[in-house]
This record gives sequence, C-alpha cells and structure tokens, in this order.
Amino acid sequence: MNTNNNVYTVVYTTVIVVVVAAILAFVSQSLKSRQDANEKAETIAQMLTSAKYGTKAELDKLSNSEKLEKYAQEISEAYTIGLDGEKIEELPLDKVYSPSELKRQNYNIKGGANKTAEPALPVFKFKNGSVVVPVYGAGLWGPIWGYIAFEGGTSTIKGAYFDHESETAGLGAKIKDDPSFQAEFEGERADFTSASVFEIVKGGAPKDAEGKSVVDNKIDAITGATMTSQGLDAAINTWLGAYSKHLSANAAECSGKCCEGNEEGHECQKEHNCQEEE
Amino acid sequence: MDAKLKETILNPIFKGNPITVLVLGICSSLAVTVTMKGALVMALSVIVVTGISSLILSLLRQTIPGRVRIIVQLVVVAMMVILVDQLLKSFEATYAIDKQLSVYIGLIITNCIVMGRIEAFALGNKPWPSFLDGVANGAGYGLILIIVAFFRELLGSGTLFGFDILNRFGYVPNNLVILPPFALILLGCIVWVQRSIQKDLQEK
Repeated sequence: MNTNNNVYTVVYTTVIVVVVAAILAFVSQSLKSRQDANEKAETIAQMLTSAKYGTKAELDKLSNSEKLEKYAQEISEAYTIGLDGEKIEELPLDKVYSPSELKRQNYNIKGGANKTAEPALPVFKFKNGSVVVPVYGAGLWGPIWGYIAFEGGTSTIKGAYFDHESETAGLGAKIKDDPSFQAEFEGERADFTSASVFEIVKGGAPKDAEGKSVVDNKIDAITGATMTSQGLDAAINTWLGAYSKHLSANAAECSGKCCEGNEEGHECQKEHNCQEEE
Repeated sequence: MDAKLKETILNPIFKGNPITVLVLGICSSLAVTVTMKGALVMALSVIVVTGISSLILSLLRQTIPGRVRIIVQLVVVAMMVILVDQLLKSFEATYAIDKQLSVYIGLIITNCIVMGRIEAFALGNKPWPSFLDGVANGAGYGLILIIVAFFRELLGSGTLFGFDILNRFGYVPNNLVILPPFALILLGCIVWVQRSIQKDLQEK
C-alpha cells in the first residue's frame, strides 16, 4: 500500500483526529459528574479557608463528604446581588460557584461581546461572621480566582485564598502556595470609596516603623511574578468594585449609621445583615 | 522469555536509564519530586502513557504516512495524557495530587522519553515488545523520580508519604532540599554513582 500519496495522508489524519476527539468527548462527558463533585468540595475547602475555619492543609485532610457536611453546618446565608448592591435572590445553601460560573459572571461584570446577562454575584455568609465573596480574573498563563472573607459588616479583610490554573510554579503559583502572601491580606481594609478598592503594590506597600504593613488597602506584590500580581490586582478590583455598593452599605449599617444618611431609601436590615459582635 | 525481550525490559531500568543515561525528562523530575506521593503518581502516569502510546502506535505503524508520522504520534500521546489527567481528576484520592502536579501531568506530552521511545522503538517493532519497552522506560524514569523524592521528602519535610519520620526526632526540615536546585544536585549524585559502577559509560 502506498502510504505516501496525498489523499491517503489527508484521509488518514482526518480519521485519526476524529476518532481521538470522539474518545475524549465520550470520556469527558462520562467523568464530568465525578469531576464536578471533586471541584465543588475543593471550592468549599477554599471558601472555608478564607473564612478561617482552618488552614487549607487541615481542610484538605477531610473527605469530600466531610467538607460538604462542615460547609452545611457553617453557612448561614447565600444570595446573589446586582451591581447596584441590591439582593437579587436567595441561593440554596448547598450552591457554590465553580470557576467556570465565576468566569461567566466575570464577563457579565466587564460587559462587552461576551456578556450574556446582568451580573448576579454571589455573597456567602458564615456563622462565624465572615462574609465571603469570590474574585476571578486573568493571571499570566490562565485564569486565577479566589475568595476574600470580610469581617461581618466591615470592610476589614478576615482572610483570603487564591487558586490558579497554570501560573508558574515557584513564582506566580505563590498566590496559592505561599500562606504568607495570603496572610498579608488579613487585617487590611478595602477602600470602597476609591476607584482602586485594593492594591497589590510592586516595590512594596507602605510599612510602619516595625516593618509591618500599615492598615490600608495595599499589600506587597510577589517578587518575580509581576504579571500574576497585576492580574490578581485587576481581578480583585473588578470584583470588589462590583461588590462595593453592597459591601459598603453593609459596613455602614453595622457601624450604626444604617438608617441615618440612608437617602436612597434602602430598607434597614440591621439584624439581618450584621453580626452581633459589631 | 527470550533474551531480547528481557533486554528490552531491563535495559531502561538501569543500563540505559532515560534520566541518568539518556538525560531525558529532567525538567519534570526536578518539579514533581518534592513528595513521594507526587512522584509515585507521576511515575505511574508516565508508565501508562508511554506503554499504551507505544502499543497503539506500534499497531498502526504499517499504516502511518511517513510525512505526518510525528503529528500522528502527537495526537495519540496527547490523547493518552488527557485521558490520564481526566481520570486523576475523577477520583477523590487523586484529585488533590492532580492539583498539586498541576501542569506537569499535561506536560507529559512534551516529555522526550515518550516521543523518543515511539520514534526509536515502537515504529520499528511489534506491539508486544513495544508495549514492554514503553512500560520499562516509564519505570526507569519512575525509579529515579522515586529515589530523588525519597531524599527530598525525608530531608526537606522530615516525612515519607506524609507520615512523620525524622520529625519525630526533632529534625528541622532543610528548606534547600525542597527547592528544585537540590533535585539537580541529587540527580548529579545518582549519575555519579551509576557511572562509577558502569565503567563503559565514562567518557575518556
């Protein structure tokens, strides 16, 4: 058989590619539900990490069903909001947002050709007072996402956890692998009145005399990972910007200013939104 | 088992080891050897990919058009790698390891051992010897990975497979061992040991 003629070559490669594509499509479809279950448990572990229910390493020791159980115990409220800060609808308490859903909402926030609907952004409230919101954006090589937990009813960050698909190991991957980077967020305060809600500063954020980061909305970028740091900065600003009306209203209500100065006629929901300790 | 087949299996494990003699697959051997678990999963993945890709391409070898053979090889290897990645993602026990290995599972496609063995062996040999050759080369790669990971996890974290070993005796983990350069130093030592045993590899 002459395997070198052109028609044979074209037909052969076409058949091989189609067969391989069919196999992969079939396998991907049949494993999807299992993969989604794993992804959901991982997402839950990341949210619980940001809300300070243990370190990621501790939570990873739990099985999938234990993670789901812990989440069901600790979540108190979940709902979506629009860009105006108003609640759209309650979410079922076992509903989490996978990275692909966050990607869709990211397009909706940014507008443009990929926008499919008005943004419906999830807010997760936990029994320890944490208010967890997701962030999503582009790193250097692929998507990056994460969860930022605020102390209930304030703009103070309680914890943060970030994940990525394919950032450089040892450099950009530090957003996930380096606990000290995530710890930098703790105690910082998002500035919802400013255009840049939060900044990841190349060259160093302002420090006090003891070398600690001052309480503001700035932290140090990662050395050697300028593009990932910028990507994370953009992701955080886009998302916290979209949440700013909701979260700042929430913060104002809890500092006792709820009903004074509330000119837009929002209904006061102090008991509903705020934690006892504030 | 005849001598030739035995040679096919044993050669890549020691005398013609893909990492220490052919010096292929160095990049991933530096990256995935921080823990024994990671190294073991990576080793098994590479064994499956090289073995089955070699088998499939050896079965197809009479029909593949010479001008597009590299493309056909790539398609088959890529399929195997994606299948392995999908399977690792599907099980609770391997999901975390798959996340930890992140891009390196996908990068098996570019591991020179896979394409090298297909091009050098599978396209010119019958399916069964090709399969064994693929598996043996994967195993030779995996063996070095596990040796390196053994020292890196033991000295770098004081654990093995996550169980405390040296940590029990107040050992302070050495951070240098965790970093990739130490894997290169270890690999150098392994090459040194092998060449002092196997004199014919020494360059004059």
